[in-house]
Amino acid sequence: MSAIGELAALRRTKSARANPSPAERGDNKAAAVFLAPWFVGLALITVGPISASLYLSFTDYSLLDPPEWTGLDNYAAMAGDPRLFTSLRVTFTYVFVSVPLQLAAALGLALFLDRGLRGLAIYRSVFYLPSLLGASVAVAILWRQIFGNAGLINQLLGVFGVNGPGWIAHPDYALGTLIVFNVWTFGSPMVIFLAGLRQIPKDLYEASAIDGAGKLRQFRAVTIPLLTPIIFFNLVLQIIFAFQAFTQAFIVSGGTGGPIDSTLFYTLYLYEEGFGNLHMGYASAMAWLLLVIIAALTAVNFFASKYWVFYND
Amino acid sequence: MRQLPTTGGRGVRPRTTFRLAAALTGAAMMTTACGGGSGDSGEVTIRFSWWGSTERAEITNQAVDAFEKAHPNITVETESIDFESYFDRLSTSVAAGDEPDVITMGGAYPREYAERGVLLELSEVSDHLDLGALDEKALSNGEFDGENYGVPTGVNTFSVVANPRIFEEAGVELPDDDSWSWEDYAAIAEEISAGTPDDVYGSEDPTQPDTLDLYANQHTGQGLYSPQGGVAIEPPTVERWFGLTTGMTDAGATPSASMTAELAAQAAPEQTLLGQGRAAMKLAWSNQLAAFREGSGDDLVLLRAPGETTAQGTGMWLQASQLYTISKRSEHPEAAAKLVDFLVNDPRAADFIKSDRGIPANPEIRAHLEGDLTASQQVEFAFVDRMSGLVDGDFVIGPTGSTESVDLLQRVNDAVLFGRQSPEQGAKQFVTELKNAVS
Repeated sequence: MSAIGELAALRRTKSARANPSPAERGDNKAAAVFLAPWFVGLALITVGPISASLYLSFTDYSLLDPPEWTGLDNYAAMAGDPRLFTSLRVTFTYVFVSVPLQLAAALGLALFLDRGLRGLAIYRSVFYLPSLLGASVAVAILWRQIFGNAGLINQLLGVFGVNGPGWIAHPDYALGTLIVFNVWTFGSPMVIFLAGLRQIPKDLYEASAIDGAGKLRQFRAVTIPLLTPIIFFNLVLQIIFAFQAFTQAFIVSGGTGGPIDSTLFYTLYLYEEGFGNLHMGYASAMAWLLLVIIAALTAVNFFASKYWVFYND
Repeated sequence: MRQLPTTGGRGVRPRTTFRLAAALTGAAMMTTACGGGSGDSGEVTIRFSWWGSTERAEITNQAVDAFEKAHPNITVETESIDFESYFDRLSTSVAAGDEPDVITMGGAYPREYAERGVLLELSEVSDHLDLGALDEKALSNGEFDGENYGVPTGVNTFSVVANPRIFEEAGVELPDDDSWSWEDYAAIAEEISAGTPDDVYGSEDPTQPDTLDLYANQHTGQGLYSPQGGVAIEPPTVERWFGLTTGMTDAGATPSASMTAELAAQAAPEQTLLGQGRAAMKLAWSNQLAAFREGSGDDLVLLRAPGETTAQGTGMWLQASQLYTISKRSEHPEAAAKLVDFLVNDPRAADFIKSDRGIPANPEIRAHLEGDLTASQQVEFAFVDRMSGLVDGDFVIGPTGSTESVDLLQRVNDAVLFGRQSPEQGAKQFVTELKNAVS
C-alpha cells in the first residue's frame, strides 16, 4: 500500500485509538525516542531556516549587508516583475506538460513489464537508472552535448538530410527538450506503479474474464480504479518535484535560464536573484510564493482525489 | 560575469531546490565568525581563495608554499573553485561571516564588496603591503572614492585574438590593426566565413559588456558607466552596435543565433569556437591567449581591437585581470597583507605564477620574468607593452549592481539575434534594465 493509502487508513481508524492501552503508550515512548534525532534535524535544518527565510522575505538583504526591514516591499515588487511572470509561465508549462507525460510513460512501461517477462529485474533496473541519474550534473552535461547544434541528435537527423535546430539553444525548443528530459526520468514512478500492479488481486481479473471482459475493459474497469491511489501518490510527488526542478535548466542554459528566458525555471530565477544578483530578501519572498503555490496545488489535488481515488480496503 | 577574464575551467554545481536556498539563508542568520589561528603564540592561520583551473591551483599552491617557507609562523589554507560558482559561494560565506582573509576578485566585484563594507582599506596595512612598486594605471583598478581596496594581480588588455591559420586557409590577409574599423572587422569575418568550410566562422558573436564598453568609449568618449556610478551608455550606441552584429549574423560572418546562444552557455576558453580552431577572430582578454592557443593547437596572435577610425580615440584600456582583496573582518590583516605583498612583489611567487593572472604590474617582476617566457607569454607581453602606449580610455569600474550586466546583455542579445526584438527595442531594454540594476 502506498504511503498515502496508509495515511488514509490511519485517518479512518483514528477514532478507534482514542484511548490507547498501556502497551500502546509504551510503544509511543519508544517511537518518540526513535523519532527524536529526526525531530532535531527537522528543527535545525528545516524549520529554523524556513522561519529565517520568512523573516528575510520582509527585508532588503544583499547577503553582504545586514538585512533591513522593508515590510511588504518584496511582495509588492513581485507583482511588477515581468521576469517573475515569465518564470512562472515556464515552470507551469514544464509541470503540467511533463508530469502527465512522465506518468503515462511510467504506467505504460509498468504494464508492459508486469506481464512477467524473463529478466524482469534487469529491465526494471535499466528503466530505473535514468531516475537515479536524471538530476545529476553529469547527465545534464551529456544532454547538452547530445541536443546541441552539432550534437548526436542533429548528426542523426543530418543522415536523413534534416537540418535540426539547436534543441537546447533555440527559444522555441529549449523548454520542450527539458520536458523530454524529465519524461525520460520515469523510472521511480514506474517502480511504484509496478508494485501497485502486483497488489491488484488476481481473482478480480479472473472474475472479470468470466464475465466476458476483454483486456481493454479489464484495464479500464479493474486496473485503473485499483491503481488510483498509486496514481494519486505519484501525481502529488512528481508535481512537487517538477516545481523544484533546477539542475537540468541550470546546466543546460549555463545558469541563465536562456536562451531569452525560455528555460527560466522559478527556482533558477530565485537562485539567480538571491546568489547572483544579491537580492536575497526578494529571493526569500519568491521562495515563499513557491511554497504557497505548491501547497495550494497539493491541497487542490487532495480535495479532487475524493472524486477519483478509490481505496480498496 | 562569465566573461570576466579568467583562464579558469568552467564547472558546474549540483545545487538543488529552494529548500537549499532557505537552508543557506538560515545558516546566514546563525552568524558565526570562525577565523583560524591562535593569536598569542605568534602562529597564525589565514585563508586565501581564488577561482580557476587545476593548473592555476597547482602553481598558486606552489607560490603559497614558498610564502610559508619565508614566513614560518604563517599557515595559509587555500581554497579554489571554478569561476561560475566562485562569487555565489563568496556572497554566501560573507553572509555567514566566514569569508577567507585574502579574497581574489575581478571586474566590478571589488567595488561592490567594498561599498558594502566587506573589504579592508589597504592603507591600514601599508607597513606590510608595498603598493608603491606597482604601475599606477593598474593600481587604479582597485581604487575608488580615493581609497584602495584591491591589489592588481597583473594587467590585461582587451584584444582581438586571431587565428592566422584560418586567415590563410580563407586567403585573407591579417588586417593592419592600427587602422581597422568595425566595418572592416565585419567584412573580414564575412570573407573568412565564405572562404572556409561551413563549420568555420570568421568571428564569434562579439557582444559582451567589455566590447560594448570599448565601442561606447570609441564613439562617445564614455563607456558603460559614468565615474559617478551611473549608467553612461545611451540606447542609440547600443542600437548601432546591434545593427552591426545582426548584420554579421545575417551575412554569415558570425554563427547563427542558436549557435551563439549555445556557446554563451559554455564559456571556458577551450569550448569557444576560437578555442576549437573553428573561428578566426574573437574579442577576448589578453591573458586568455595561452588557453586559446592550447585549445586550438594553433599559434594565435593578438590584434588591437577595431575602431581606431572613430573620432574619440582608441578607447583602449589596461585592466587588472584580477585583484587581491583583504576581508575587513580578517583577524590577521598583517599576515594577509604579507601574503598579498609576496604574491605581487616577490620573485619567488612570480616564478610559479608568471603571467597566469595577467602581466605583473610590478616592473621589477616583469623584468625578472622576461628572460624565461614561453612563446605564448612572449606574444602576450609584447602586445600588452605595445597597448600600454595607446591607452586613453579612462577606466571606470562598474558600480554596485553592475555585475548583473553580463546575464542581462546575453538575454537581450539573444532576443535581438533571434529577431524577437529589433536592435532599437533591444537597446532600449538593455539600457533601462541596466539602470534598474545599478540604481
